[in-house]
Amino acid sequence: MIRTRWILALVAALFVSVSCSDQPTSAGSEPGTLVIRLTTPHGDDGALTFQVNGPSLESASVNGSLQLFTLRVNDSTLVGAVIGTLANGAIITLHVPDGSVAGAYTATLREVADREDALRASLAGYALTVTR
Amino acid sequence: MRIAILAVLVLVGATPLRAQTPRPGSWQEAVRRLRDAHVVHPVRSARVAASPTAIIAESEPNDSIRTADSIALGDQAVGVLNPARDVDVWFVDLTEGQLFSVDVDAQVLGSPLDAQLVLFAPDGRTVLAFNDDFDGFDSRISFRVPASGRYFVLLSSFGQNGGSPQARYALNFGTVTCTAVGTEHEPNDSPGTATRVAIGDSGTGEICPVVERPAGDVDYWAITAQAGTTLDLAVDATSFGFVGDPILALYAPDGTTRLAFNNDFIGSDSRLQFSITTTGTYYATVANVLGFGDPFRYTLHVRTIVPGPGDPITVRAENLGIPLGLAVGSTGDVFVSDVSGNRILRISTAGAVTTFATGIPSPVSVAFDASGQLLATSLAGGVYRVTPQGQATRFITDGIFPFWIAVAPDGRIWITDVGNRSLRRYNATGQFETSFDGIGIGGSGPGPLAIGPSGEPYVSNGTEIWRLRNGRFERLLTDGFLIWAFAFDVAGNIYAPSPVAGTLKLFDSTGAVLADPFAVGPDAPQAVAFGRDATGATLARVFAIDPQVGRLFEVNPAAVRQRGLPGYVTPPFSFDVAAAGLLGAGGLSAADLQYLDAVGNHNGRYDVGDFRAYLRVLQGSNR
Repeated sequence: MIRTRWILALVAALFVSVSCSDQPTSAGSEPGTLVIRLTTPHGDDGALTFQVNGPSLESASVNGSLQLFTLRVNDSTLVGAVIGTLANGAIITLHVPDGSVAGAYTATLREVADREDALRASLAGYALTVTR
Repeated sequence: MRIAILAVLVLVGATPLRAQTPRPGSWQEAVRRLRDAHVVHPVRSARVAASPTAIIAESEPNDSIRTADSIALGDQAVGVLNPARDVDVWFVDLTEGQLFSVDVDAQVLGSPLDAQLVLFAPDGRTVLAFNDDFDGFDSRISFRVPASGRYFVLLSSFGQNGGSPQARYALNFGTVTCTAVGTEHEPNDSPGTATRVAIGDSGTGEICPVVERPAGDVDYWAITAQAGTTLDLAVDATSFGFVGDPILALYAPDGTTRLAFNNDFIGSDSRLQFSITTTGTYYATVANVLGFGDPFRYTLHVRTIVPGPGDPITVRAENLGIPLGLAVGSTGDVFVSDVSGNRILRISTAGAVTTFATGIPSPVSVAFDASGQLLATSLAGGVYRVTPQGQATRFITDGIFPFWIAVAPDGRIWITDVGNRSLRRYNATGQFETSFDGIGIGGSGPGPLAIGPSGEPYVSNGTEIWRLRNGRFERLLTDGFLIWAFAFDVAGNIYAPSPVAGTLKLFDSTGAVLADPFAVGPDAPQAVAFGRDATGATLARVFAIDPQVGRLFEVNPAAVRQRGLPGYVTPPFSFDVAAAGLLGAGGLSAADLQYLDAVGNHNGRYDVGDFRAYLRVLQGSNR
């Protein structure tokens, strides 16, 4: 019985950790930062979803003109959506414990929509790169 | 004015049917006619109704009511309009119910007089009838006498400047006597004198010659019908080669309450169907449209037909003026536009009718926007927005000729513009976003408009329904009759009114016919909407309005397959729930996912484009 309770508590804790917000997911005490840059073949992108993998992901943020929604799947995987006027260049700031190891992190695009809400049929020509 | 607008409505309904394909721009033409309400009467021929029993010469001065000369029915008055601007007034004592006729002979006698006639009521001031040219330049008035008394006839030259010593005239005072033709028994001009005709039988008769207003000969037919049957009345005249344009009406057993009306079902011939809910004797009338045209013979066919699953209908409200559009509010009340009364009426769930808003010039189509305010297109141009308190202000002022309006699940406003035959899209606050050219869909499109299950707009071009998908129009269905303002249930079934056929039809989401007729009880249904309960949730109840008889009715709810599409709904969940669902955390039902897709790009699944659109909806609702 006690063991079962612990398992339930563990499951509950895991469930609670899967939360989403339009604010940074957490604040590290002395975080390093990495930048996720977008490469796009279009000039009218309005929204995208992405996934980041890497060690000890803490949180992500965007500049004030964009809206960010994130879901931390586990300690090393974070998914999110960015809404706004998107263009080539830095779009997301990633907060990690050690900002010097950009190579340990990868970011991939899941979906892109244009500013008329239409989903891009192809992601050819798109890329997300993680840099310092 | 009411008759004129009704006549235009009839023309709107009839035009596409006559050719089986609508003429380009006929919505616009119809709307213009509605707005202007012009009625053109053709020049006609006639036959003289009375032969004189005495010839009475005028006695000058007879230029006023006070100095009018006396004449009797059956007499002939003779005189000269001399000098210029001379007028001659005659009085005659008439009896209630007479079909009075006064006929000028001048041109026919070689006189240069271009006569015009005015008939005054016994008060000597009220103009009852006027005629300029009937037989060439010679005038004639026929008039059904409403009350016994002394009536006055004023004869003048056209423009009152044509008098001369040669301007001789003869005035024939008499009554129009219609001879019984076929199986009719004249006089049969009232319910009390109606000729009986049995169901399954036919009646034949003739409509006498009359002048344009007021209407003259009307033939009444008495029909005994059992509750639960649906009468199918058809009048054939032009199909026999006659020039006349018959109109057909059905009256309740009280003889005065008009239940149904039709003009021009096939060509100029008329036909109507009506569900009988109370056993009794009903009255069908045959007359000539607006009283013009030559005399014609006709056959009235009296049959019963199998009703549709949506029968019997139930009348929910009456005396609504000329209602063209309807929308159901968030508490279940029905709102209808009265194009003749410049007002929006509100019908409570208990059937009480109140005026909701005034001051909207000839409102046509109505729909509720994302903020719960009622939008109404106006024949005068523009879109009005009405607060829940009934205050109307101009809201959308661009576009050329806004016709029909609908609000999508994302709060966006769609309007068909018959001015340039386009479909225009606005955001929830009324800012123009984009326009789609609808000329390519042909017919009279785009006209009436509805939002489909996937959030896409569908439009009628007259006899076809088209949908806008990915910026392109696609044809969904083709029908043989005019399709007015249709509505969808949640399964995508289409409930479509056909005012010319006098029926509602039911199509599935692919355009295949499910029931034709779905309901035959309504007279000339023009627009359809689904009911809502007190919480605003849509129900499996279908309401329709009928401008011909000014009524709101409901079809048999047992036959309605699904509840109606909700249209715009208050966002059902917060942004974080929508975001979590997008990013894989679940928490959204299949219906939620379908809703979000309908809000956004309706590509069949919930994606980031839909989420982006939903954020706008939330911002619009301040949630």
